[in-house]
Amino acid sequence: MTDPVPLPAGVRDVLPVEAAELRALADALAGAFASFGFREVMTPLIELADVLDRAEEDGVGRAYRLFDDEGRVLVLRPDLTIPVARLVATRMADHPDPVRVAYNARAVRPPVAGKIEGAEQRQAGIELVGLGGPEADAEVIAALATALAAAGVPDARIAIGSVALVSAVLGGVDADPPVRDAMWAALRGRSLVDWREAASAAGADEDAAAVLADLPSLRGGPEVLQRIAAAVPAAAGECDRMADVLRLVALHGVAAPMVDIGVVRDWAYYSGVVIEAYAAGAMAPVAVGGRYDGLAARFGRARPAVGVAVALDLLHHAVGRGAEQPDIGIVLVGGCDQYIGEAAALRARGVAVVALPSDAGDAEALALADGRRFVVRHGAEGWVARDVIGGAEVALSDLGEGPWT
Amino acid sequence: MDLRICVPLGALFDDALGAMAAVGLPVDPLRDAGRRLIVEVPGGPTYITTRPSDVPTYVESGAADLGIVGRDVLLERQPDVYELADLGFGGCRMSWCTPDGDDPTAGAIERFGVVRVATKYVNCAERFFEETGRKAEIVKVNGSVELAPLVGLSDGIVDLVATGRTLRENGLVEREEIFTSTARLIANRVSHKMQATLMDDLVRRFEEACG
Repeated sequence: MTDPVPLPAGVRDVLPVEAAELRALADALAGAFASFGFREVMTPLIELADVLDRAEEDGVGRAYRLFDDEGRVLVLRPDLTIPVARLVATRMADHPDPVRVAYNARAVRPPVAGKIEGAEQRQAGIELVGLGGPEADAEVIAALATALAAAGVPDARIAIGSVALVSAVLGGVDADPPVRDAMWAALRGRSLVDWREAASAAGADEDAAAVLADLPSLRGGPEVLQRIAAAVPAAAGECDRMADVLRLVALHGVAAPMVDIGVVRDWAYYSGVVIEAYAAGAMAPVAVGGRYDGLAARFGRARPAVGVAVALDLLHHAVGRGAEQPDIGIVLVGGCDQYIGEAAALRARGVAVVALPSDAGDAEALALADGRRFVVRHGAEGWVARDVIGGAEVALSDLGEGPWT
Repeated sequence: MDLRICVPLGALFDDALGAMAAVGLPVDPLRDAGRRLIVEVPGGPTYITTRPSDVPTYVESGAADLGIVGRDVLLERQPDVYELADLGFGGCRMSWCTPDGDDPTAGAIERFGVVRVATKYVNCAERFFEETGRKAEIVKVNGSVELAPLVGLSDGIVDLVATGRTLRENGLVEREEIFTSTARLIANRVSHKMQATLMDDLVRRFEEACG
């Protein structure tokens, strides 16, 4: 027996069937993003660790680090938003506002023992830079909804919260800094129990206290925002802004997102609306994002920004098997040697041709393994095609035009 | 009702059934489950029964939408789930316990630089000693933790204490309380949003019944 050939923890290979399905999803998302004018950019797989340090982001503590030959610390990008923000702030500093960029790339983070989340995360996302208003938030939400629909998620649901709104509420009830810290910790830890305990120590007056205790459990439509604004006037501005986002999203003609104040992101760079999308069959949100107005300034070109990233692997779980049939490509026995010209002619017509030598053994087994439906041979009676799924011999005319016609 | 609820076997089981019955969930089929691990109630939820420490795993991965689990397990496992409600039952505390007599903790730090801790709750123990500025050497054991300090494997144990009877019987005393724990209702991140109305309604009923 040969020695086992292990992979590093948390990573895996992608075989042809999955690769094709992931590619189809990525193309569907990219097409939807492109229809809003987002253009693809690519950033390097490795960055100087300084880029992450500038982002002042605790969340990137988990990253693979290495040294270059001059001893500088490098990092495998654990996130795409920070590198793309760097790219836009430096390389596209002179680009007229707004900048719309998209990416389809992998972020890499060391796996956590006992967690299902892999080390490599395929992300397809967009960043809208240079527009600070609710119209930009709404556009990103609409682009996300359009993209998820294009990818074939039947029942995606988008929820939006706002870290600015939560901050405004905590400021409005004048919670002490330690209480505030405890409440943020509870929110980020998604513990409504800890939140309520901390909220009871905030010393808010009666109306505000009721809203404060329930804040992360509040969800629904605009009525949620009205209730918060009425109880905590200091948060009225942020509530109005979110109501504007809802109104503008509706004009885009996509399903209304759910307001859910309990939606927050672990990463500190978010400064306004936060976005999550869910789909049945995916264990975690299929897309996350939000507004991060302070990040670009750390790379020397202050501009407001909002973006969202779809987790392709989670999306793949939610979409399930691709609806498309396998390619009606053919396996051509002799395509490697005797009928190279015929194979070339077929390819020129757009037919995928898997070429085999004339003396190939089990062409049907290969066709099944590769997801091809027809095996074509030239025998004593001319061209014959066999349908490997049905087992029947089929008329060549069913395969479209070819050298046999 | 398309809802999967993960129910812990063991100490919390009876109270968990009581709480679920109190909010109107049909739990009788679960009482009569015998050795079945999955109980589907026609027109009602599907129950999944597991060891308590596995509940967060099932809920975090979406194999279950809701779960009932002790806070001790949540603090140890740190799953990415919503902690929706304190159900009040299953009260106990996580404590640092050492053999009766002089507390060996300070002496161990002074002479050896570390205190040796046997526990099933490695993460809780590690965090507790870090937060209190002490270096701990954690020895993971899987059962009968009380044995470890008695035979010199460790200076003491970090373990759950309910009545304190097991500790007393083994000549151990509680030195420092780390946290208190009760049963919690937890939800998968996606289920919590996809089934928002059902979840919010259930949480409200649990809070009324258990609050």
